[in-house]
Amino acid sequence: MLTSLKLLIKPFVLMQFYISVLCSFFVVFNLSAAEVKGESLQVHGFVAQGIIDANKSNFINDDESISFELTEVGINASYQINDNFRVAGQAVYLNGGNRYHPGARIDYLLLEWDAFHSEAWQASLYFGRVKNNHWLYSSTRDIPFARPSIINPQVTYFDGFRDLAVGGDGAAIKLKYSDDHLGEVDFNFSRGKSTFSDQQTRVVIGQSGGGKLEHDLDAQASIYWRPLFSQWRFGISANDASFSYSPAEVDNFFDADFIFQFYTLNAIFEGQYWQFSAELVQERLATEGFYIPGFNRDEIGQGYYLQTSYQLTKDLSVMLRNERFYANKDDKNGSKLAASSGGLIPSYFGFHNDTMIGLSYDFSSNLRLNAEYHWMEGGARLSPIVQPDPIANASKDWQVWAIQLMYWF
Amino acid sequence: MGCFVRYVLPYVNYKDEIIKVTLLNIAIIILLFSSPVYAINIISNATADTSSLSVSQLRRIYSMRQVYWKNGTPIVVYVLASKSPLHQQFCKEQLRLFPYQLDRIWNKLTFSGYGVAPIEVTSESELIKAVQSTKGAIGYVENLSEAKDVNVIEVTD
Repeated sequence: MLTSLKLLIKPFVLMQFYISVLCSFFVVFNLSAAEVKGESLQVHGFVAQGIIDANKSNFINDDESISFELTEVGINASYQINDNFRVAGQAVYLNGGNRYHPGARIDYLLLEWDAFHSEAWQASLYFGRVKNNHWLYSSTRDIPFARPSIINPQVTYFDGFRDLAVGGDGAAIKLKYSDDHLGEVDFNFSRGKSTFSDQQTRVVIGQSGGGKLEHDLDAQASIYWRPLFSQWRFGISANDASFSYSPAEVDNFFDADFIFQFYTLNAIFEGQYWQFSAELVQERLATEGFYIPGFNRDEIGQGYYLQTSYQLTKDLSVMLRNERFYANKDDKNGSKLAASSGGLIPSYFGFHNDTMIGLSYDFSSNLRLNAEYHWMEGGARLSPIVQPDPIANASKDWQVWAIQLMYWF
Repeated sequence: MGCFVRYVLPYVNYKDEIIKVTLLNIAIIILLFSSPVYAINIISNATADTSSLSVSQLRRIYSMRQVYWKNGTPIVVYVLASKSPLHQQFCKEQLRLFPYQLDRIWNKLTFSGYGVAPIEVTSESELIKAVQSTKGAIGYVENLSEAKDVNVIEVTD
């Protein structure tokens, strides 16, 4: 019913509908942060502005200049209607330069039904626009103070796929179990459809494709386990999605179907001074058509990141991260990619590596400054992903630095 | 074994030394605990109808995994700011968690839409008032003498 309704409504109409619902929600309750003390209604938000620079790459902008395109603003509200139902929504404005299309978005807008609860169990269902809650940081990838760094590890949180991976319109189930033997177990399942705006299609396809990219319903599941009183937590996730491309009347590309499957395995350790987290990733991208009718490609990419942080003082911490990814496990150095394109696409577009160092300083419980430097290698996580741009990204090695100040309440 | 013979045995023969060392240890322990360490008490609204909670239950409540009291009343969790010394001590001593771990859980719930975080208040007196007046509320205080008409919860292992 929900799906058929959505098929009738064009994505932009749906977006306007979401925004108007959220606006009326705020107006009805006449919200301001200072007033909100009641237990039924909660309002939170964040503002973050930074400065960022990418050298020898169009990762942020085309002229490689120092940029202020590092803005993230959001406000959310949650209202407990009664013991069983709650509504919540968040609107964000994001500007990340070329990384994804800048603009306002309804991040989530959902109805939660507390279907069952006991001392050990909690089962909740969510309907509406729900966020991807399956990877270690997927539900907070745009929340500056709740993600590991300014630039997320691109192996898992590839910015070019942000709008697709961040969530979708559909439903989610969350089962939480806790006891004094097993510890804490969470099971998450979601089905949804992401809205691909025209601008986001250009981010993925590039300027030479004028057609439309459609995301069909996808299915995602994950399980997390924290042993009793353990500082470790382990997780596993799987995602199965498909897309189709319908070319414009005059287009460089053809009709296409894509299958995208994504699996992760993760672990996190939370110590007094040391923290550690890692995600192993395997993805499958099968392409039918697109470049020429009848074209067929089925590739498996693999990667990982390992990151550790150390609390130097009460308010200052340092983070180190190493990240490796190759788009085709049978072509780790990209030589086959270069050969198959007749040398048009350099071999370094077959992989993406990043070594990062970052500092984080807390001025208070709600005000933080992050700074980081990335030594990047390769172009496998640079947009547009289906048609690499070796002119704007003419160097295998490129660097990014960023500083961002963030406030939240 | 060699170490034991060389370093420990000689002391066994000198009872005075053992007494001195013991007294010194006691003095150190007294000194450590006489530094300004708050005593933390868990309090709840009278509607909670619970006199004791295990550490793991308290942890479930503060990590928003248990959201109802046994009698079916919804739990409303109150906290102080994450950098406040009392909150920091509460996390470490009562929950055996680092404050940042709770921040991470709450931020994830709040900013993903999948749940709600505890309600943050600015002072202990505000927290007491909130627990007194809110059905199903839970919080923590340093000084019980100011917390009238609330239920005090004992935390067991």
